[in-house]
Amino acid sequence: MTRKSDSRTIASRAAADKPAASIFRLLLQYKAMLVGLIVLGIIANGLTLVIPTIVADIIDQFKDGNFAIASSAVTFGLFVLGIFFFSYLQSVLQTYASERVARDIRGQLVDKIAQQNFSFVETYNPSKLLTNITSDIDSIKSFVAQAVVTLVSSIVIIFGASIILFTIDAKLAAAVLTIVPVIGISFFFIFRTVRTLFLQSREVIDTLNKTISESIIGAALIRTLNSVQTELKKFTVANQRSKDIGLGILNLFSILVPLIGFVSSVGTLIVVVLGGYFVITDAMTLGSFVAFNSYIGLLIFPIITIGFISSVIAQASASYERVYAVLSAADGAQEGRITAKLDGHIRISHVSVTYEDKKALDDVSFSIAPHTKTAIIGPTGAGKTQLLTVLTGLIIPEVGLVKYDDIELTQYASTSFFKQVGIVFQDSILFNTSIRENISFNNLTTDKDLQLAVETAELDEFIASLPQGLDTLVSERGSTLSGGQKQRLMLARALLLNPTILFLDDFTARVDAKTEKSILHNIAQNYPQLTLLSITQKIAPIEAYDQILLLMQGKLVASGTHSELLQTSPEYMQIYSSQRSTNSYELHT
Amino acid sequence: MNYILNQDKKKAPDSTWDTVRSLLSFLDNEKTILIYASLVTVLNSAVTLIAPLLIAYVIDTYIVTKEFSGVLTFGGVLLGLYVIGLITSYAQTRLMGGVGQRVLFKLRNKLFQKLQELPVAFFDANKTGDLISRINNDTDKLNQFFSQTLVRFFSSAVIMVGAAAFMLVLNIKLALSALLPAAFLVVFTQLVSPWIKRANAQSAQATGNLSAEISESLANFKVIVAFNQREFFTNNFAVANQTNYKKAITAGVANNTFSPVFQLASYAAQLAVLMYGVYLISSGELSIGLLIGFLVYVSNFYDPLRQLAGLWANLQVALASWDRIAVILRMKNAMPFLPTQSTENTLHKDTPVIAFKEVSFGYTENKPVLRDINLELYAGKTYALVGPTGGGKTTTALLIARLYDPTTGVILLNGRDVREYGNQERTQKISFILQEPILFSGTIRENLLYGNQTYENYSDAEFTQVVADHGLKSLLDRFEKGLNTKVDNSTSAISLGQKQLITFMRCILRKPDVLILDEATANIDTVTEQILETVLQQLPKTTTRVIIAHRLNTIEDADEIFFVDAGQIINAGSMEQALEMLAAGVRGS
Repeated sequence: MTRKSDSRTIASRAAADKPAASIFRLLLQYKAMLVGLIVLGIIANGLTLVIPTIVADIIDQFKDGNFAIASSAVTFGLFVLGIFFFSYLQSVLQTYASERVARDIRGQLVDKIAQQNFSFVETYNPSKLLTNITSDIDSIKSFVAQAVVTLVSSIVIIFGASIILFTIDAKLAAAVLTIVPVIGISFFFIFRTVRTLFLQSREVIDTLNKTISESIIGAALIRTLNSVQTELKKFTVANQRSKDIGLGILNLFSILVPLIGFVSSVGTLIVVVLGGYFVITDAMTLGSFVAFNSYIGLLIFPIITIGFISSVIAQASASYERVYAVLSAADGAQEGRITAKLDGHIRISHVSVTYEDKKALDDVSFSIAPHTKTAIIGPTGAGKTQLLTVLTGLIIPEVGLVKYDDIELTQYASTSFFKQVGIVFQDSILFNTSIRENISFNNLTTDKDLQLAVETAELDEFIASLPQGLDTLVSERGSTLSGGQKQRLMLARALLLNPTILFLDDFTARVDAKTEKSILHNIAQNYPQLTLLSITQKIAPIEAYDQILLLMQGKLVASGTHSELLQTSPEYMQIYSSQRSTNSYELHT
Repeated sequence: MNYILNQDKKKAPDSTWDTVRSLLSFLDNEKTILIYASLVTVLNSAVTLIAPLLIAYVIDTYIVTKEFSGVLTFGGVLLGLYVIGLITSYAQTRLMGGVGQRVLFKLRNKLFQKLQELPVAFFDANKTGDLISRINNDTDKLNQFFSQTLVRFFSSAVIMVGAAAFMLVLNIKLALSALLPAAFLVVFTQLVSPWIKRANAQSAQATGNLSAEISESLANFKVIVAFNQREFFTNNFAVANQTNYKKAITAGVANNTFSPVFQLASYAAQLAVLMYGVYLISSGELSIGLLIGFLVYVSNFYDPLRQLAGLWANLQVALASWDRIAVILRMKNAMPFLPTQSTENTLHKDTPVIAFKEVSFGYTENKPVLRDINLELYAGKTYALVGPTGGGKTTTALLIARLYDPTTGVILLNGRDVREYGNQERTQKISFILQEPILFSGTIRENLLYGNQTYENYSDAEFTQVVADHGLKSLLDRFEKGLNTKVDNSTSAISLGQKQLITFMRCILRKPDVLILDEATANIDTVTEQILETVLQQLPKTTTRVIIAHRLNTIEDADEIFFVDAGQIINAGSMEQALEMLAAGVRGS
């Protein structure tokens, strides 16, 4: 957990060093599409401007008496159809562009995450990553769909209108345009505040995600403890905070948007009063004044529009900053290149791992010879599972080395490494898919291999009893399977790799003694070349193992064979005697 | 009871208005605010309409006549109007945004509360990520609708009705020709809305699936890394991402259909008025001036209508999201509470604490896990449930704790149907240590007190004393920072065994009448387990213990041993007989 906060500061520091994550930079990748969008927007809007002149023409013609009803109607109709066509096209392209951007960034995020180490997902935490991939991307999507075209065309119109105003009357134009910096400054200040709020609002969504998913994972527990109120309170606190931040953001924008409208109106007022003064003092003609007055609307409307979409922009840029932090995170530790076949020789030397000032592993060293069986035993919290995560490279220890066949683990290409190493984790991790996919994923495995793995894990009878056999769907978290069934599925999954080395973490804890015995027998028979490392609580099954390691409080306190340890280690003796009373029973089975 | 949310709906979709009505029920407390907001909106629209008229008046009356004092006076009036505009616009955004935020808060809380009311079976049937998406994303769509769309809906409608009234007063025939395209739009909207809603519903579901996919993969990331399944992860996600992309584009294109069509209708109306107007002028029924004025009203009518088109699309998005929310809110918990049958206390000394009467149960209809079970458990005794994995031991325990209700038959707690007990009373009597230990992110103290208010206000020292009084001190001391050790369910800093220790302490501190341990110590070493056993032995004389374990030493002191397999629960008699059964037993389904 210290590790967590450490790496978080590292992550944020790294993000600070990098060029700012500007959402506009992102758009550069979609230049063609955006240009198309803007062009279509200009055409559609341009055509719209023509319609009033056509109507005026028709009326003028009618007044003049040379009115051809058919041709006028046709011209009008053609323009209208043109507008319909281009604006529909624009909206389709807009949808397409925004969804493409969303899909692409989602894909990039997932590709990025997929390359990372296990500890990356722990550090960044799944709830936050989920928000990144869902809500954050949604904000970016709205930005592309709603803001981009509006923003670009508004800025173009503001410039165009300013030029026109200057050509009509430079002094008056200069006076009116003083509103632009005023608006700019208010934008700047409000944006600075609102950014933090938007970032916070996303963090609250992370918390909500976490609370919801914890309440779902813990659904059974909550119902046995009747702690619904506690959960509700927890959720309400986060939800309340979300509301408060939402209201804070709202407050800022409900000031900003009317303020911009007001300042723009003041622009109009300047024209009326100052322009009126110019006309009265004959510094300006009435005609110019009227023209000025009608074009001022052209300037003001886009400014107000930008006010309206500013919240979309602010939210999207906050979201993109979060997404960018993940996208620009350093890749997982340098991937090794060695793809050599493993012999099964493992050596770890002076390995230490620290969590919150507590040494989970403290200077642990040992080695394992190929094709041997090693057991790790020790009290709860001794660091056994920790040792497994280090041995399998899921965590890289701060101190010490892990070597396979005398080569450091980090030198191996992880794909090649994990192809040869099977791991059965303590906790059952199942996917909401068929049993077959849970065992073999989408790997191309022969039915023979699959059958062997299934039989070794003593799953064949169970699978045969299911109407759909291997194609039976496993529910999320495997809630419809018993603890033992889940663990055996996990074993079959590991065995299917036909691994050189097999790591078992307390795997028989939920399997009855009889089944356990058969499984261990099956493994020995069907996978004779295995190098086996088994974390366990029970001494009886490991008495014949080549090596037993006794771990206590992160330290390796003793190692040797069963009979050696009985002689040399009082701690081992204590564990042994704690189990002796039932040994007579176990032997029966 | 069918708890599956994502089902293809066979029934015809509700009409838009029915859904809107159910949605509007969330606005019940907001009526006053809505009235204020409407008033402010009307005021704001009035300012927007009056200002240009006033400017025209100033030009005609004062600037042309070169009377600057008049310009200044009316400049002041204009400024006053703009200030009113500023205030009303602020109030409008603020009020409606507040409504949106409060509705969002209320909806999220209501949804979360509903989830907590639903039984465990609901979570077996639905995916975490999809539920999160419903609580976070779908509610946000509704927030957008309430805060942004609703108020504009109102103001647009007001302006439209006004314009239509003016037209009808001016010239009924011409007005009807102008309104004809609007009638067409009504029909068009009716026809197209179901399609648009369906497209949005599918898009929302695709988003839910995407969320489910990613949250499952993130939760299971350890296996993805260790089994080289990064590609499986990215490929699966790519499929969900692509599906979501396609559905979103369909929905987006559908949503964008309204706007161009409404625009087209607006032009059609202009053309109709123009042509028909010309005809009417020729026949002497209309003047040119009136025609020009009429055209202004046509755009006054159709411009807000076009806005409404965009809003209507937003409404369809909101409705699709609302359906996903409403389906949860409508869900009924199929585990009802029964009224208390017997008012007098029928509890005799020999009434079993727990009794099963002809109980049958299966997770799915055709696969019974337990058949016609009769079972009696008495106060103060220790019972062991043994049997092969998947035999039904956990299911039996789940039924005792009423995480599920039997398909047929009754379970009695102290002689009364367990369904007559409220959650509070039942969970106080029965404490269940689940197979999968669950912690919530927080400190150990928080986790121990989770769902237990008794010691909430105790200081750390006082609470430590309570822990010691229950014989749990030595277990707590294993955690470096004692009560204040931080834990998190999803980190690798804490092992399964340690989690089991915490959940064990949590249940003991609840002082239950019936304590169920389902493989509660499976991952705890045998020495520590002896401490736990001592704790169990020191429980009050009346406490009934139900122990499920594979490790036989944990059950050797049981008063009675039940053998659970293939839907049957048999009294096994002695330990030896139980072992024989186990040895002979066939693994059940």
